[in-house]
Amino acid sequence: MTRWEYFIKRVLLTIPVLFLVLSFLFVMLRMGPIDPVAARLGPEADGTDAELMRERLGLNDPLWEQYTDFVMSFLTFDFGQSWVVQAERDILDIVISSAPATIWLGFWAILLPLFIGIPLGFYAGLNPNSFGDYTASFGGILWQALPNFWLCVLALAALRRTRDGGGPFGFDWYTFGPDFTARSISITGTPDLDWISTTDLLFVPVPYVADWTALAIDTKLILPAALILGSASMAAELRIGRTAMLETINSNFVETAKAKGLTNRVIVWKHIFRNSLIPLLPVITSEAFLLIGGSVIVEQIFNINGLGRIFFQSITQGDLPMAGALLFIFTLIILFLNILQDFLYTVIDPRVGYEK
Amino acid sequence: MSSRQTNVEETYEDEENDELFVDLIRKNPRPALIWLAGVAILVLLEIGRAFAGLGQLIGIVSYLAGGLAGVPGYVGGNVAGVAGGIVGSITTAITAVVMLLLVSIPFAGRVPDRAVDVLGLDLTRYQRRWTKRSVLALVLAGGAALFALSPVGGVTALVSSGVDSLASSLPALTSRETIPNQGYRAPDGGWEGTFMGLSPAIAWAIRLTLVFLYAMVCLVWGWKGFEIYRTHYRQADWTPADDTIRRFKGNYWGLFGLAIVLLFVVLALWAPAVSPVQAEHNIYQPNAHDFQYLTDDGEVESTTHVFANLDSRSDGQGTVSPMSYDTYDRWAPLGTTARGQDMMTHLSYGARTSLIIGITAIGLGALIAVVLSLLAAYYKGITDIATVMASDTIQAIPALLLIMLLSVIFQESNHPIAQPLDGGFLLALIFALAYWPGMWRAIRGPSLQVAEQEWVDAAKSYGQTPLRTMRKHMAPYIAGYILIYASLLIGGVIISTAALTFLGLGINPPTPEWGRLIDGGQSYVATSSWHVATIPGIAIVLVVVAFNALGDAIRDAIDPEADVEESEAATAGGGA
Repeated sequence: MTRWEYFIKRVLLTIPVLFLVLSFLFVMLRMGPIDPVAARLGPEADGTDAELMRERLGLNDPLWEQYTDFVMSFLTFDFGQSWVVQAERDILDIVISSAPATIWLGFWAILLPLFIGIPLGFYAGLNPNSFGDYTASFGGILWQALPNFWLCVLALAALRRTRDGGGPFGFDWYTFGPDFTARSISITGTPDLDWISTTDLLFVPVPYVADWTALAIDTKLILPAALILGSASMAAELRIGRTAMLETINSNFVETAKAKGLTNRVIVWKHIFRNSLIPLLPVITSEAFLLIGGSVIVEQIFNINGLGRIFFQSITQGDLPMAGALLFIFTLIILFLNILQDFLYTVIDPRVGYEK
Repeated sequence: MSSRQTNVEETYEDEENDELFVDLIRKNPRPALIWLAGVAILVLLEIGRAFAGLGQLIGIVSYLAGGLAGVPGYVGGNVAGVAGGIVGSITTAITAVVMLLLVSIPFAGRVPDRAVDVLGLDLTRYQRRWTKRSVLALVLAGGAALFALSPVGGVTALVSSGVDSLASSLPALTSRETIPNQGYRAPDGGWEGTFMGLSPAIAWAIRLTLVFLYAMVCLVWGWKGFEIYRTHYRQADWTPADDTIRRFKGNYWGLFGLAIVLLFVVLALWAPAVSPVQAEHNIYQPNAHDFQYLTDDGEVESTTHVFANLDSRSDGQGTVSPMSYDTYDRWAPLGTTARGQDMMTHLSYGARTSLIIGITAIGLGALIAVVLSLLAAYYKGITDIATVMASDTIQAIPALLLIMLLSVIFQESNHPIAQPLDGGFLLALIFALAYWPGMWRAIRGPSLQVAEQEWVDAAKSYGQTPLRTMRKHMAPYIAGYILIYASLLIGGVIISTAALTFLGLGINPPTPEWGRLIDGGQSYVATSSWHVATIPGIAIVLVVVAFNALGDAIRDAIDPEADVEESEAATAGGGA
């Protein structure tokens, strides 16, 4: 099997998976223990109201017809309207308006660990069994075990405490960088992201940063949350980066490079670094997986009105269609990332698909 | 009688092993008897607690049996709603038969040949196998009917109530009755009602020490038992397990993990002894139980835990910090919670909740993963593809969100499965569903490898049943791998459970859970009541680090060269 055949096979496999996910959602939301009518009108609803609602939701149709309707509407992103969270508003609208905050959070949550975790891991791998290695490795182990929600609680308490120079050395998170006290904004909240503007360059809209201060404010707003959200992946990247580095250092081609008389710099950057990145690839893509799950918790605690918080609200308030739609969208993102990961693997690592 | 012969051969391996073991004991019974005497003493010391544990076990088994017995009716009822009553009844019957057969298949090999020979049929080996299964299923059905329809069923209730009364009447070394730590300050300065008139703090510390001493002795004695088995009763002088244990003993990081895990398990198992006040009094029904205390006027009065708890809240304004007494002279080794309950009690019973959920979820998930991976590796083809599809589907949905959605759906509808542990059992089932694909993926490679080995081919051509081939010749090979992943994943389950409870979704009050403690204390981190959110958080971190260390150490001990991918398991609880 060639690499590309393998890749195409993987892509084709996602189609039945997508239908299975849809069927699962259908079974849970429509045939599950919760009666959609009762969820919508309250448990005591009966009589004509309930009957009307039943008719409107299409619950009197034959089951297979309900199923095809459900699948078709989900595949065309026609999710209908929210019931409770933002009643009568189109679900797709809500998703589009709350997505930017989550994307902004996710962007930083991926970026920070990449630039902290991987260098630390590589450093530890290049200097195995040194004091720095032990510190970094132990830090990674501890960091991985720290529950995000607990970190959020502690971090918020610590940051609030620094108000008016209450932190160590008179540190004040409120006035650090863009001044939050003077602008009287809370240190938690939703970034509004209105610093992006687009300009038409040859009739193609090109985004550019219009307001650098607003960018700084939004970054500061999201930074603690992003750091915590990325913490688990950071630890994973550190550990795997270390192992990958150790393995690559001891491999034959590095030996050869040394024997050829290449300088250390060339060996590290050209031969070791690039090859150590291969095992890190699945970690980086699986980060998205963590971010989606973790965003619910972090956004809820840090008061960020993103997709995660909307999902949390929709399941706690019984807004089933919205919860289902969000879960479906998240699944789509993950399936897409899986394909992307396979694609990158196919491009980067020629060995894929050749093992047995 | 060729069929007869193959049957004898099928069961021959097991019996040979068993007989040798029994023979060796018969030849040299002394070490075994000494060890058993030690076990008997240890059990006698804690006889009351042993019966309490037995009672709980009976409760769990009868709950599960009741739940399983309800399945055919439930399935049939659902079908009846769509397709009509007769079809429903038929479905009920079919489901029951299928379930009975599924239960009987793993045990049918033990049915003696006589049970089938009685029928006087001339059967092929294959037919004989299925006849045995059907016979066993019939016997099971008869037993179930006997229980359900005749007064025999009442016996179980009698037994369980008997066990319960024994549990409360028999003494135990570490029980609250032996070393009471709850008492009130006497007007003359001493203490009334505590162990030897000591202060509650010291009485509690003595009991705690006793618990840990007892647990340690049990552990040492268990290890001793293994050594006795190894030197006197094991056929082989050496097995690979010996090397694994030797390597593990030299791994200090792993030993540290093991120590913390054991601490956690002891905390969970002996929760009633470790907690300074009964959970029933302090957490579950604080208004139904009262206690005595010395007022400021120098009089001994009585009040309920509800009122006392209201005055002992650690909520920023008032604080009962760790290692102190509250105003009612109740000893609080770890302070009180934001609702005035005792933190130590909450923490130890919370450990119990976490441990039950973790073990149930990972055990069930590992079982599914092992069975499916063996089936897929043995039969390949469509079984393999179906398993890949199922696991890909579940893995495509973000685990934490899936768990949230399912737990809300079942809890909102008051599904009976959400009753035990206030949603804990439901949560464990959902975790098992969400986590088996990860474990399956981790052992897929090893199972495919072992299926290619000559000894599996040999077993097949020898005429062994697929089930026996998988169990005896394939499963041992992947057991180590599953142990590693189970240990790494259990930390993820503990974190996720706490996170869900923190959000108010997982386990409902009053069942104690660590996440709820953090939720209760989150506003007071920067106040004098900082301990409320900090202590359970540190407990979670410690336990999770310990399980991870244990998993790493097991991996290194089983095979230092093993190339086990850690990315999968390492990210298990990370989202929370």
